[in-house]
Amino acid sequence: MPILKKHCAECHTDGNKKGGLSINTRVEFLAGGEGGEVAIAGNAAESFFLELTGSADLDERMPPKGPGVSASELAILKQWVQEGMDWDESYTLGSSGWEPPLKPRIVTLPPALENRDHPIDRIVDAYHLKKNATPPALASDSLFLRRAYLDIIGILPSPKELLNFIKNPSPSKQAQVIDLLLEREIAYADHWLTFWNDLLRNDYTGTGFITKGRTQITSWLYAALRSNKPYDQMTRELIDAEEDAAGFVNGIKWRGNVNASQTRNMQFAQNVSQVFLGINMKCASCHDSFIDRWTLQEAYDLAAIFADKPLELERCDLPTGKMAKPRWMFPELGQVDPKADKKKRLQQLATLMTHPENGRFTRTIVNRIWAQIMGRGIVHPVDAMHTKPWNEDLLDFLALQFAKEGYDLKKFLRFVMTSHAYGGKSDRLEAEPGTDYVFHGPVPKRMTAEQLMDSIWQVTQTHPTRADAKVDRSPSFRSHDSTLTRDSRKPKNIDAFWIWGPDSQARKVKLRTWVDLPSTPKTASLLATCDNAFSLKVNGQFVTSSKEWNKPMYHEVSNFFQTGKNLIEVDAEMFGGGAGFIAQFIFETGKQAIMIETNKDWEFLLDKDWIAATEVHPYGSGPWQRPLEKAQQTPPGTNHNDPSIRASLVKNDFLMRSLGRPHRDQVVTSRPAELTTLQAIDLANGNILSQYLQQGAKRITRDETDTKDFIDWLFQYTLARLPTNGEKQVLASIVQNPQNPKQVEDLLWLVFMQPDFQIIR
Amino acid sequence: MNIPAQIQRRDFLKQLSLASTAALATEGTRAWGNDIVIHPKAKADSCVLIWMAGGMAAPDTFDPKAYLPFEKGLEVKKILSTFPAIDTNVDGIKISKGLENIAQVMDRGTLIRSAVQPDLGSILHSRHQYHWHTGYVPPLTVAAPHLGAWMAKVLGPKNEVIPPFINIGQRLEGVGEKEELKAFTTAGFFGSEYGPMNLPYPEQAIQSVQPPEGMEPGRFSNRYKHFKKLIDQNPNRDQLSDFQRESMLRSMESAHRLLQSTEKDAFDLTQEPKDSYAKYGDTRFGRGCLLARRLVEKGARFIEVTTEYVPFLHWDTHENGHTTAARMKKEIDQPVAQLIQDLEAKGLLDTTLVILASEFSRDMMIEGVPGSNAQDQSRARTDKLQEMKQYGLHRHFTGGTSLAMWGGGVKGGFSYGKTANERPLMAVENPVSIEDLHATIFTAMGISPKTAYEVEKRPFFATKDGTGKAVKDIFS
Repeated sequence: MPILKKHCAECHTDGNKKGGLSINTRVEFLAGGEGGEVAIAGNAAESFFLELTGSADLDERMPPKGPGVSASELAILKQWVQEGMDWDESYTLGSSGWEPPLKPRIVTLPPALENRDHPIDRIVDAYHLKKNATPPALASDSLFLRRAYLDIIGILPSPKELLNFIKNPSPSKQAQVIDLLLEREIAYADHWLTFWNDLLRNDYTGTGFITKGRTQITSWLYAALRSNKPYDQMTRELIDAEEDAAGFVNGIKWRGNVNASQTRNMQFAQNVSQVFLGINMKCASCHDSFIDRWTLQEAYDLAAIFADKPLELERCDLPTGKMAKPRWMFPELGQVDPKADKKKRLQQLATLMTHPENGRFTRTIVNRIWAQIMGRGIVHPVDAMHTKPWNEDLLDFLALQFAKEGYDLKKFLRFVMTSHAYGGKSDRLEAEPGTDYVFHGPVPKRMTAEQLMDSIWQVTQTHPTRADAKVDRSPSFRSHDSTLTRDSRKPKNIDAFWIWGPDSQARKVKLRTWVDLPSTPKTASLLATCDNAFSLKVNGQFVTSSKEWNKPMYHEVSNFFQTGKNLIEVDAEMFGGGAGFIAQFIFETGKQAIMIETNKDWEFLLDKDWIAATEVHPYGSGPWQRPLEKAQQTPPGTNHNDPSIRASLVKNDFLMRSLGRPHRDQVVTSRPAELTTLQAIDLANGNILSQYLQQGAKRITRDETDTKDFIDWLFQYTLARLPTNGEKQVLASIVQNPQNPKQVEDLLWLVFMQPDFQIIR
Repeated sequence: MNIPAQIQRRDFLKQLSLASTAALATEGTRAWGNDIVIHPKAKADSCVLIWMAGGMAAPDTFDPKAYLPFEKGLEVKKILSTFPAIDTNVDGIKISKGLENIAQVMDRGTLIRSAVQPDLGSILHSRHQYHWHTGYVPPLTVAAPHLGAWMAKVLGPKNEVIPPFINIGQRLEGVGEKEELKAFTTAGFFGSEYGPMNLPYPEQAIQSVQPPEGMEPGRFSNRYKHFKKLIDQNPNRDQLSDFQRESMLRSMESAHRLLQSTEKDAFDLTQEPKDSYAKYGDTRFGRGCLLARRLVEKGARFIEVTTEYVPFLHWDTHENGHTTAARMKKEIDQPVAQLIQDLEAKGLLDTTLVILASEFSRDMMIEGVPGSNAQDQSRARTDKLQEMKQYGLHRHFTGGTSLAMWGGGVKGGFSYGKTANERPLMAVENPVSIEDLHATIFTAMGISPKTAYEVEKRPFFATKDGTGKAVKDIFS
């Protein structure tokens, strides 16, 4: 033993497996390494390790460094082997490293200190006690709000929202704002789409070396996020996939001959293990791993679950003659039936993956979410779940909690974000943390490329106008607006006409009609659209407007109507091509239904006179077909543009790529932590950013009047605080003339380049 | 792997142990310890890769074979080269008609005619380009770094102000296969600090290193001054100092240093004297060569200049091969020769390794190599010539490719490796694999082919598995 310890342990024990050989235990020693057995008990002559140890050839001698095993030491080893390699089976020369538990574990919570009884805080407080550290103080309101907004919906709180929050005296305002943010389902989905696109390597473009790359799962994913689909269900739908989610497991079919580790079957094994279990099967895709316990057989067996045909193992790209058997690596939880067909096997795998006893599954996801909002995982890196967490109780508790609450991602976010651990001042790190990391509050994190773009667009109002991603962002029926809970009828048969004036090329027209109602209506529905834009008032009050003819407006509008005469007025505009306005009103008074539709009974203003409107086309004919049927109900009186387009919904561009948005041919689970010089050059002189600044400055110089107020507003928006006097002086000297857009551009640039802006504390 | 005999096992374990004992089994991306990996003494401190994207046909450029002119009714299987050969200023070395200027600088360089590529089945330019530029065949589980990124990482910048890795002439947006191009035009797992500065249009290069369009230099420097003042005035300055903030400020400083430096004039082609500018010809590629020279003078570490890859255009001839090759040779002949001569005149050629290469060659008949299952991609198939568009080398050939090197310690007037004189024009003497080619390039630059960095706990080598062997014969 001392000889082995002295000469061999450094490379072959304690998790080191050079050449695939570990000599931690007798069993491992005899199992050998990548090249086969190195020791045969009872046969010193055939024991390869002795040959190497005694070799005179310095290139092959073991150990490769140092003076090597002396002649007398070698004799002892030879004798030991010849005599059967006597070794207490339970004795370990080194440890195989920490073994992550598979099953969930119930954690006994330490007692609450003072009144900090959130389970996370109880655990973390005990952790700090043990480390003789003090928990960080709580973050200020402004710091907290900025962090919460960026973590949940990926955009900044407006100055108004910030002030309201600060002024709010309620002791539970933090929990309240978290709930409000989580309810903003479109904004939540827009933001978290980035996280999931990275993790599931889903994107809108990409190389497949000329094949169409992978199939996108964007629509399915976005819908899952909007509806807060439980994570176990998401997982099952990804593994046992229907067409809309199959892109993940189907991987990429590369054209031509590819390395055996890159077939779709092996991609399946690698991605399923990495994403759901934090296991790296890449090494084991070519040979038994040298760095952990996974074997080639295990990787291939997992791949075989997905494969259409029986798989032969290939080691280092050469066939071995051994076959794979569809099998997953945690038989303690159950096993896939190797004889079942592929669909059934995937179903079984999906069930096993989301098995209530699969603690690896839950630990992996809670760790990812924790890392995402806390800046660093409980296990680090997040794809190496065999690494010891900085606190096992915390990880295990969160994993069980997550499962108990139905694998609900939003509930989990809320759970973590309502702890003092999340609400603390952020940590201050002088260097990138290593294995000696101690938790001391959330770790500051760089905004992702998407967050940076969204925030800049937010402040400058320069959002893109169209989404590339095929996602459904139509307003939800599940809005909290009470007017929508009234049963608003679906449109009846539409006999309306598209109407306009006598001149079909008239650009701006006015239309109107009168409606006489016997009593105030119980319900009134309005369905209308216009090629190209219109604005509608009832009795002088603005009701609705639109600029897109194929997105009709559909509202419950009984509030606007009264008994007797009601005036409906429309300002309509055409931008070119066809022109026509169409509408249908249905009033229910309780006794009767009254329908008003656009036709020549409506009036058109020609110069100063009201004349009968021209019926351009009956509904259903003409160039517009039938857009009204697909109307989605929304509240009236709001600006009916769709929610602003977010960076996650558009394709990657030069600037975003420079700022770290990945190509997504691989799973990505963390973004670069630092700004590089080339990125800084792009920020200093790139055209894309310049254009946003120019447009923003133009709008600001047009709308803003007071610079001082504006600088305050800008700081509150971007940095969640007011500028100091010193800062105000610096900024005032760059904006000497607030009407000069160039100076305002520079001002914007200065603020956007502040580390305080780009780093989330 | 079947390794029954003791001897085979020994060799295998020896390979492994050499590789793995060279490893520092610690986390992070550190190179191997110096006592195992010894970097060779550098012959060059700058590298210019002149990239003939699209598959430059060797028989019509640097490895001329029997010539048959266009003739209606000529059986295509008789055609090897579509140009006659010309003499160079090196006895015994002939290259193709159309490269008369380059022929006059062959005495400063080495010609390798036996470069080979693996058979990847279906021939895809992007996969071979990726392989050529990174040393690894995609797809991979690791984002492999570009040659230039390796040099940036291991050697660092030559002049601190100039980005060490510059890529000229290739558009990465608005062109076919742009995603595939981006896949290897990257620093991969090294992180984008070592990534390329992309300058698709040499005439516009100066815009990348000056204030944004429309901004006067005075306003630009004023803005940065205020930036620094604002940082100083930050109320939490002392409490907030952390590594992310510091690295961000450092990067901003480096960026602005470049943008306000005199070195950035290197990017400005309008500053080149008119007569010299004219010598590089009137094409984007020609101007790219001029830009490369200026950048070498100012201390760039690695520069790639390309004729640009656009599917089916330029060197990627699937029809009209002869006519297009004539045009391409005209495009490259003067600028490449001028680049060599200028570097020599400025005393820089000895310390600059210039490489002219392509991802594979072309042949009249064979797709891939004999026996490959690669699909025929010629767009002008015929057995007998009828029209000019069928005259040319329209199929991808990976069995023997030409490349040339100048400077950086390589022999002058030297020819290495041979291909057959009858079809198939396979490399028959001294074949040079991609690994060995890279090993040669790295050796010239003072980087050991066994250099490795750790990624996801495994070593990733400068040449595949550290096995690249430099072709020492070509060094003087």
